[in-house]
Amino acid sequence: MLRRLLFVVLVVSSCTPSGRSAAGPSQRIVSLLPSFTEILFDIGAGDRVVGRTQWCDYPPAALAVPSVGEGLPPNIEAVAARRPDLVVLYNAGPNATAAKQLERLGIRTVLIDLNRLEDLGPAARTLGKLTGREQQAESLATAMDGLAARPPPSATTSLAFVVWDNPPIIIGHGSYLDQLAAQAGARNVFGDITAPSAQVALETIVARDPQWIAVLSDSAAPPGFAKRREWRAVRAVREGHFLFLKGSLFGRPGPRSDEAIRQFRALLAR
Amino acid sequence: MKWTVLGLLAFVALLASVMLGPAAVPLAQLAHSDIVWNLRAPRAVLAFLVGGSLGVAGAALQALVRNPLADPFLLGLSGGAGLGAVLAIALHVSGPWALPIAAFAGALAALGLVYRLGLIGGAALDPRILLLGGVAIGAFAAAITTAIVSLANAAELRNTFLWLWGGLSGASWDAVLLVALYAPIPLAVLLAAARPLDLLALGEEPARYLGADVEAVKRRVYLAASLLTAAAVAVSGVIGFVGLVVPHIARLTWGHRHRALLPAAFLGGGALLAFADTLARTVVAPRELPVGVVTALIGVPVFAFLLRRWTIA
Repeated sequence: MLRRLLFVVLVVSSCTPSGRSAAGPSQRIVSLLPSFTEILFDIGAGDRVVGRTQWCDYPPAALAVPSVGEGLPPNIEAVAARRPDLVVLYNAGPNATAAKQLERLGIRTVLIDLNRLEDLGPAARTLGKLTGREQQAESLATAMDGLAARPPPSATTSLAFVVWDNPPIIIGHGSYLDQLAAQAGARNVFGDITAPSAQVALETIVARDPQWIAVLSDSAAPPGFAKRREWRAVRAVREGHFLFLKGSLFGRPGPRSDEAIRQFRALLAR
Repeated sequence: MKWTVLGLLAFVALLASVMLGPAAVPLAQLAHSDIVWNLRAPRAVLAFLVGGSLGVAGAALQALVRNPLADPFLLGLSGGAGLGAVLAIALHVSGPWALPIAAFAGALAALGLVYRLGLIGGAALDPRILLLGGVAIGAFAAAITTAIVSLANAAELRNTFLWLWGGLSGASWDAVLLVALYAPIPLAVLLAAARPLDLLALGEEPARYLGADVEAVKRRVYLAASLLTAAAVAVSGVIGFVGLVVPHIARLTWGHRHRALLPAAFLGGGALLAFADTLARTVVAPRELPVGVVTALIGVPVFAFLLRRWTIA
């Protein structure tokens, strides 16, 4: 009996060269980005998610998981209180510091890039490995890689994403939204700006004359700036050509990206 | 000579901001272009009016509190305006003018509180308490603003900071008309107080002996300068540096007589902001720089150059 126990201990310890945290697939995961939550549920690890951000609203089952707040930057104590053995963080700014703090508490962390379509495949594979759901993750990753590699159709219309009106902030080439638009057959008139987003002068929007103004909005009411006199100089605003994109579907790369592209195309075809 | 140069500078700044922009408008079509008429021209005029107002408000406040660091936004107005704007967004007040009106109301509330604090020792407005009260009220309003932004769920709240940092993207003929009707009143009040402001620079006691109604002047100047700043912040957010540096530059060139100093600060502030906004729109086109960055980048070297010249001379 004692010998058997010793054997088990030896086997377990040989599998965990870096301490207690790396012992096999994670069982209690806190996901700090809506996209990660969607991927985890998609690959069948949803039952192991014990914490999410307040923004994680898909799939509906995720809403049953306790929220730990904003997620960026995370509330360390709220995360630790879920007693996770893995915390998945979006690789940006303050999250690196937060990850170090969590590691100090003995909680395993992983920082994952997820800004564009091509990041989805690697992200799914990483999460698959960490949860022991490699197979499901691989099939999702293959689909996502295919989506990212798909040559966009030739553009039949043009648009500008207006994120904020005063000062006007638009979406540039480096953004996931720009990719969605391209896949849906719309040319982003600010595709020459390499940054994900940028401040521009209103007259630049007028001069580039997009056919649509796309806004991330959950309602279909025209944005406040539509009534402002200076914005009436933009033709698409004058003509009421707004595309309302729901943030929970269009604002995040994830397993539903192809669904987002389909809906985008349908909106443009109206 | 000085006036000719300044007038020319102001004219060139206005002309440049109408002629230059990120959108290519051929010279021949300048007069018929929608972009020029509905976007550039109102933006140029608004920049000039706001810059001029900030210059005058800064000059008057520096004289009032007898502190070279005084700035139109030092007296709590930016904090109050920010709180007003954030509240309007958090409470989902909609409408094209919601933000400017809320910011104006916030600035007025801060103004009222600081004014009341300034009178705390009795009927006399104490400039030192005005300064301290302004900083305190501003910090308090900023703290509440930050609390709302970090606690509320609306993602767009973060963007109010962009608006607050200042810019002339909201320029339209409506905004120009509003400022053009409103600003002359406080400007006239300040200009009428030019002579007592000169006396006030000597100290309150001497000013009183020389016949200035010190208490009334202080109140009038404080209220007029603050109301001017509140209008500026409502249409263009907090544009730093114009109200701090332009009065000093004007003082280095025109001396301490407010009858000359205030008009010079108006033209100088207007020219600086119109010029800075042109650069903000064009140097990194198609992108745009926040105009406050440009005012500081131009204002500081000019200021340092003049400071050096005058301290050596």
